[in-house]
Amino acid sequence: MLTFTIRRLLLAIPTLLAISFIIFAILDLSPGDPTSQIPLTVPPEVREHIRTSLGLDEPFIVRYLLWLKQFFINEPLNILEEWTGYTFGDGDRLRISSWATRSPVVDLIVERLPQTLWVVGMSYVVGALIAIPIGVISAYKQYSWFDQVGTFVSMIGFSVPTFFTGLLLIVIFAVNLQWLPSIYDTTLRVTDWSSFVAQIKQMIMPTMVLALYNASQISRFMRASMLDNLNQDYVRTARAKGMKEKTVVLVHVLRNSLIPVVTVIALGVPQVFGGAIITEQIFKVNGLGQLLIIGIQGADIPLVQTLTFIFAVLIVLFNLVADILYGVLDPRIRYD
Amino acid sequence: MLDAATESAPLVRIQGLSKHFPIHAGLIRRQVGVISAVDRLTFDIRRGETLGLVGESGCGKSTAGRTILRLYEATEGAIIFDGTDIAGLSGEQLRRMRPRMQMIFQDPQACLNPRMTVGQIIAEPLDEHGSLSRADKRARVEELLDAVGMNKGFANRYPHEFSGGQRQRIGIARALALDPDFIVCDEPIAALDVSIQAQVVNLLEDLQERLGLTYLFISHDLSMVRHIADRVAVMYLGKMAELASRDALYHEPLHPYTRALLSAVPVADPKIEATRKRVILQGDVPSPANPPKGCRFCTRCPIAVDKCQWEVPEWREARPGHFVACHLAE
Amino acid sequence: MIKSRKLMLATAAALALSATGAAAERGADGQLNILYWQAVSVLNPFLSGGTKDVEGSSLVLEPLARYDETGTMVPWLVEDIPTVENGGVSEDLTTITWKIKDGIKWSDGTPFTAEDVAFTAAYCMDESGGCQQAANFSDVASVEAVDPLTVKVTFAVPKPFPYGPFVGAQSPVLQKAQFQDCMGAAAPTCTEANFHPIGTGPFVVQDFKANDVVVFAANPEFRDPEKPAFSTVVFKGGGDAASAARSVLETGEFDYAWNLQVEPEILSQMEAAGRGELVSAFGTSVERFEVNMTDPDPALGDKRSTVEGGPHPFLTDPAVTKALSLAIDREILVEAGYGAAGQVTCNLVPAPEAYASTANDWCKTQDIEAANKLLDDAGWVAGSDGIREKDGVRLSMLYQTSTNSVRQGTQALIKQMWSEIGVETELRNVDASVFFGGDPASPDTFQKLYADVEMFTNNFDGTDPQSYLASWRCSEIPSPKNNWLGGNNPRYCSEEYDALFEELSKTAGIEQRAVIAKQLNDMLVEAGAIIPLIHRGGVSAHANSLGGVVMNEWDSELWNIADWHRVE
Ligand SMILES: Nc1ncnc2c1ncn2[C@@H]1O[C@H](COP(=O)(O)OP(=O)(O)OP(=O)(O)O)[C@@H](O)[C@H]1O
Ligand code: SF4
Ligand SMILES: [Mg+2]
Repeated sequence: MLTFTIRRLLLAIPTLLAISFIIFAILDLSPGDPTSQIPLTVPPEVREHIRTSLGLDEPFIVRYLLWLKQFFINEPLNILEEWTGYTFGDGDRLRISSWATRSPVVDLIVERLPQTLWVVGMSYVVGALIAIPIGVISAYKQYSWFDQVGTFVSMIGFSVPTFFTGLLLIVIFAVNLQWLPSIYDTTLRVTDWSSFVAQIKQMIMPTMVLALYNASQISRFMRASMLDNLNQDYVRTARAKGMKEKTVVLVHVLRNSLIPVVTVIALGVPQVFGGAIITEQIFKVNGLGQLLIIGIQGADIPLVQTLTFIFAVLIVLFNLVADILYGVLDPRIRYD
Repeated sequence: MLDAATESAPLVRIQGLSKHFPIHAGLIRRQVGVISAVDRLTFDIRRGETLGLVGESGCGKSTAGRTILRLYEATEGAIIFDGTDIAGLSGEQLRRMRPRMQMIFQDPQACLNPRMTVGQIIAEPLDEHGSLSRADKRARVEELLDAVGMNKGFANRYPHEFSGGQRQRIGIARALALDPDFIVCDEPIAALDVSIQAQVVNLLEDLQERLGLTYLFISHDLSMVRHIADRVAVMYLGKMAELASRDALYHEPLHPYTRALLSAVPVADPKIEATRKRVILQGDVPSPANPPKGCRFCTRCPIAVDKCQWEVPEWREARPGHFVACHLAE
Repeated sequence: MIKSRKLMLATAAALALSATGAAAERGADGQLNILYWQAVSVLNPFLSGGTKDVEGSSLVLEPLARYDETGTMVPWLVEDIPTVENGGVSEDLTTITWKIKDGIKWSDGTPFTAEDVAFTAAYCMDESGGCQQAANFSDVASVEAVDPLTVKVTFAVPKPFPYGPFVGAQSPVLQKAQFQDCMGAAAPTCTEANFHPIGTGPFVVQDFKANDVVVFAANPEFRDPEKPAFSTVVFKGGGDAASAARSVLETGEFDYAWNLQVEPEILSQMEAAGRGELVSAFGTSVERFEVNMTDPDPALGDKRSTVEGGPHPFLTDPAVTKALSLAIDREILVEAGYGAAGQVTCNLVPAPEAYASTANDWCKTQDIEAANKLLDDAGWVAGSDGIREKDGVRLSMLYQTSTNSVRQGTQALIKQMWSEIGVETELRNVDASVFFGGDPASPDTFQKLYADVEMFTNNFDGTDPQSYLASWRCSEIPSPKNNWLGGNNPRYCSEEYDALFEELSKTAGIEQRAVIAKQLNDMLVEAGAIIPLIHRGGVSAHANSLGGVVMNEWDSELWNIADWHRVE
C-alpha cells in the first residue's frame, strides 16, 4: 500500500504540471482582460500602464514559469516561515498576487477557508449523515411509503437548483418569518453562547440548501448500494446463521454497502473546497466559490489560476484517497 | 438406511406452501401482480434421508428451499419442523430455531461476506447462539475446517483468496458450525468443476453418515440426484409434479413431465441408451407471473386432454409413497 | 469583535439615555450596515477603478473638494474652490492653488499637509505603478507644496477646467508617511497599506476581508467632534442587486444598499413592504439614439456607413428625425424599463443642471399628430402599405442595439410608436460584448453602425462635458482610415460645431462654459444626429431608520456619510 501510494504520488507530479500548464494557457487565451472592468471613460494609455504594471507585457512562457516558481517555491517557503518563525534567505520573495486586490492570493484563500469549510463542509457532513440512514431505510423497505417519499424528495433535491431552494428559504425564513438572517456575517467570531447561536442561525439556511443537494445524491448511492447487497446470498447466509436482523443489516449489509459510498463521498470532498458558487453568492457567504467567480468575472488570472490549480491538486489527492480507502475497506482489493 | 428412514417420523412436513413475489410497476411502484414462484407444495422430508428436488431452471427450486428455511416469508402454508410450525414463528423464536436448519448455496462466492475472514464467518453464529470461550471457538473453527478437509491456517484469510471448490467447503463448514439437523443444499456443486463436484458430493455424503444429517438436495442434474438422493421430487413452474422413491421415479415415472426429463438423460447402459426415446417438449415455459389456469404443464404436455386446460390436477398418492399431480396418471 | 460591538451598543444606549435629545455625539447611533452587491477588492482607489472600491474607500480617504448632489463643487479639506476670479487659478489657466484648512488631522493623529497632496500626485503619476486614476492628472506638469497648507498644481497646457486632480471620490489624498515606500512597481506589494489606508474621513478601517467585507470604526481624529453618528460601519459585499434590495426593503438586515439595477415592478413591490425607501440620483448617463447621417446600404461595400458613401437617404432630413423623436412616448419607456432609475430627457448633456439645455423640451411629450404633420409637410406621403415615401425612398429603417431585456422591450415599443407615423422598422440586437467590443473586424460593433439608427447609453465622468462633446467633431468620425476608432457614431460633421467646440476649450468659468456646452448639445439634437431618450440614474435604498442620506451621482454616494444618523 505504501509503495502504491508513493508511486501514485510521483505519478501525480507530471499530471499536475500538465494541468497547471493547460489551465494557464486556457486562461491566457480566454478573451477576458483585467482592464475590462475599468469604466469606459479611462483612456487607453492609462489602460496600457495598468497592463504593464500587472506584468502582462511579458511573454506567456515567462509568466507561466514565474507563476510556477511562485507557487512551488515562494509560497511554500513563505508558509514554512510563518510556521517555524525562521527566515529563509532574505525572506523577501515575490508572492502570487491577485490583480483585483493586489494582495497575495494565498492569503485571500486562507481568509476564506473558514466560512467555506464551515458552511460547505458542514453541509457535506450533514448531507452524508442524513443520506446514509435514509438510503439504508429506503433500500430495506423498498417501495414502502418511506422509500417513495425519499425518492421524491431526493429527486427534488438534485433537480431543483440551489438558487431556487435558497431563495425560497430566504423568502420564508428571512423575509416572512424573520427567524434567520439572509446574509452571512463573515466577521462574526464565536466567543460565547449568544455568538454561537448567531453562528448557527446564519449557517442553517446555506447549510441546509447544500445538504439537501448532497443528501439527495448520497442517499441514492446508498440506497442502490444497499439494494445490491441486500439481495446477495451472503445476507441470506447471515440470516440463516440466525443472526439478529439488526446485525444482518448493520454489520453485514451496511458495511459492504458503505464501501462504494465512502469512495463517492471521498471523491466529492474537493467540491467542498471548491465552495458552492451559487449558494455562497445567494447567502453572501463569500467563501472560495465566490472568490473564484469574482476572479473569473474580473479576469484575475493569478487568482483563478491558483485556485483552479489547488482544486486540481485536491482532486488528484482525493482520487488517491478514495483508492486507498477502497483498499482499506475492501479486502478483495490489494495494491502492489 | 433407506429402511430406517421410512420408519421414523418426518423431520420436515411441508403443507400447502406457497411463495408469491409481488410485481411492482408504474411511477410510484405500486404492486400490480404476483409471480407465483412456489405454489401449494405438500410433501415430507424424512429424518436422515436425502430428498432430491429437480426441475428446470426458474421452476422455483431455490425459492422453495429458501422458503422452507424461512429465508423468504411464506405466502401461505405450514412448515412443520420437528413438530413446530416455523412458518408462523417470528423474530426471536425463529432465530432460536435457525441453528437446526442450514443452507448451502449455489454460488459459493456470493454466499460468503467478502469483508469477513473465514474464521469470522464460521464463528459468528457461535457467538450468537452459544457461549464458547475464545479458545474453544478457535478450536471449533479449526475442527470444522478440518472436517471439510481444509487447512486450519486458512481461518484468517478472506473468501476471495480461495478457489471455488474451497469456498464451497467453507460454505459447508459454515453450515455445519451449529450442528444442524437439516441442510438445504441448493445446487451446491453446480458452480464447480466436474472433478471437484465428486469430491464435494462425497464430502456431503460422508458428513451425512457421520452426523446423521437430513438433506434437501436441489439440483437440475438428474444423474447426480439419482446418485445421492433417497427420494426424488420433481417441480414444474412452481408446482410439485411428482414425488417418489428414487427407484420408483427413475424406473416408473408417472408424470409426463418427469418422463420428458428422464428421456433427456443419457443412460450408462448402452443397450437401454440405444432404445432411449427422447420426448422433446414443445414451446417455452410459461411465465410464473401468468401461469396456465388448469394443469401448469398443459401448454407443453404431449398427452394433455381438455380437462387439463381448466382443472388443476390434484396432488395425490397414486401408489404407496408415490405422489403425482396429473389427471391421466393411473 | 462581538464583545466590542456589544460594548459599543451598550455605551451607545447609555449615551442615548443620558443625552435625551441633546446634540448628537460621535458613535451614539451604533452600527450602520451597508451592502454593496459588488464587494470591495481593495481600499486604494488608485489601484482600482471600480465604483465599489472608490466608494468603499471614500469613508476613509477624502479629496480636497467634492461635488454635491447637484454637481456643484464644494470645498472639503480646503478653504474654498480656487477660480480665476478669486485668484486661485492663474489668468493663463495653467496653475491652480489650493488652500488647505487648518487643523485637519490624519486618523493616526498626524497633521494633514500639502506634502501629502503633492505626494499623492507623484504616486499616481508614477507610470510603473499602473495608477487607474491617472486620467485625472492628465497634463499635470508638477504639484508642489508651497507651504504646509498650500499646494500648487501646474499644467503643461492651459486648463480651462483645472479640477481634475484632488476633486471627487476618484482623486483623494493618500498619506505620504504610509505610502512613500509604495511608489511605482512597489505599489501592489503594500497590501497592508492598500487594505488599511490612513485617511482624514469620518471612519477608519478596522477589519478588511478583500472581496467580502470591510468593518469601519469612527475616526477618533475626525475634524467634527460630533460626527460621525455611527460608531461602526459594516460594509458587506456579494450577491446580486435584487437580494441587496431585499435585505434593506424586506428583511431589514441592512440599512443601505447600492446600485439596485432591478426591474422596476420588483423594486416597487419590495418597497411596499414599508421598511425602507428607494432613492435615486441622476448623473450624465443618457440612453439615446445615434442616428446614421451616412448611407448604410450594404450595396456600397467598403463605403457603407462612411462619409465617402454619401449622405443617408432620409435621416439627414431634420423633419424626419424630429418626427421620429416626437412620435416616441418617453414616459412609457421609463415606466416599462427603468422606473426610479430613469427619467425623460431631450438632451445629450442632461446634467449638471447648469449645463442642461431647455431648448429641446418639445420632445418630452409624445405628439403623433405633430409628427405626422411634419412629415406630410416635408412631402413624405403614405404609400399603399401605409409606409411613407418620397421620390422612391421609403421610410424603412434598421434599428440596432445590444442584447438586453430592457433594450429589447424599448425596441418593441418604439417600433409600434413609429408605425403610427408611417415608418417601418426592422429590429436587430447584438451581443453586448460584440456590440461594445470594438473589434474592427466585426461588422456588428456600434462604431461601424451598419444600421440606420442604434441605441445605447453613454456618459461622461465628472461634471465637465468638454471631452465628451469633443466626440462629435468631424475628426472623430469612425472610418476604415482610423480603424473605426472615434466617438462620432452618427458621422455628424459641422464646421460650425467644430468652431464652437474650439471656443469651449479656451473658455474658463463654469457659467460661460455652460452656455457653449448647451449650444453644442442643441446643435446635435436639432440636426437629429442624436435623439435622446432617457436620463438614467443610480438607484439605492435605505432603511426608514437611516437619516441624512443624500444621493449623489457626481461623487461617492457615501460622500456625506459623516452626517448619516438614526431616526426613529
Ligand atoms: N426475489 C425475487 N423476486 C421476484 N421474483 C423472484 C425472486 N426470486 C425468484 N423469483 C422468480 O421466481 C421464479 C423461481 O425462481 P428460483 O430462483 O426459485 O428458480 P430455480 O428453480 O432455483 O432456478 P435455477 O435452477 O436457475 O436456480 C423465477 O421465475 C424467478 O424469476
Ligand atoms: S394433467 Fe394433463 S396436462 Fe397436466 S401433466 Fe397430466 S396430462 Fe399433462
Ligand atoms: Mg436456484
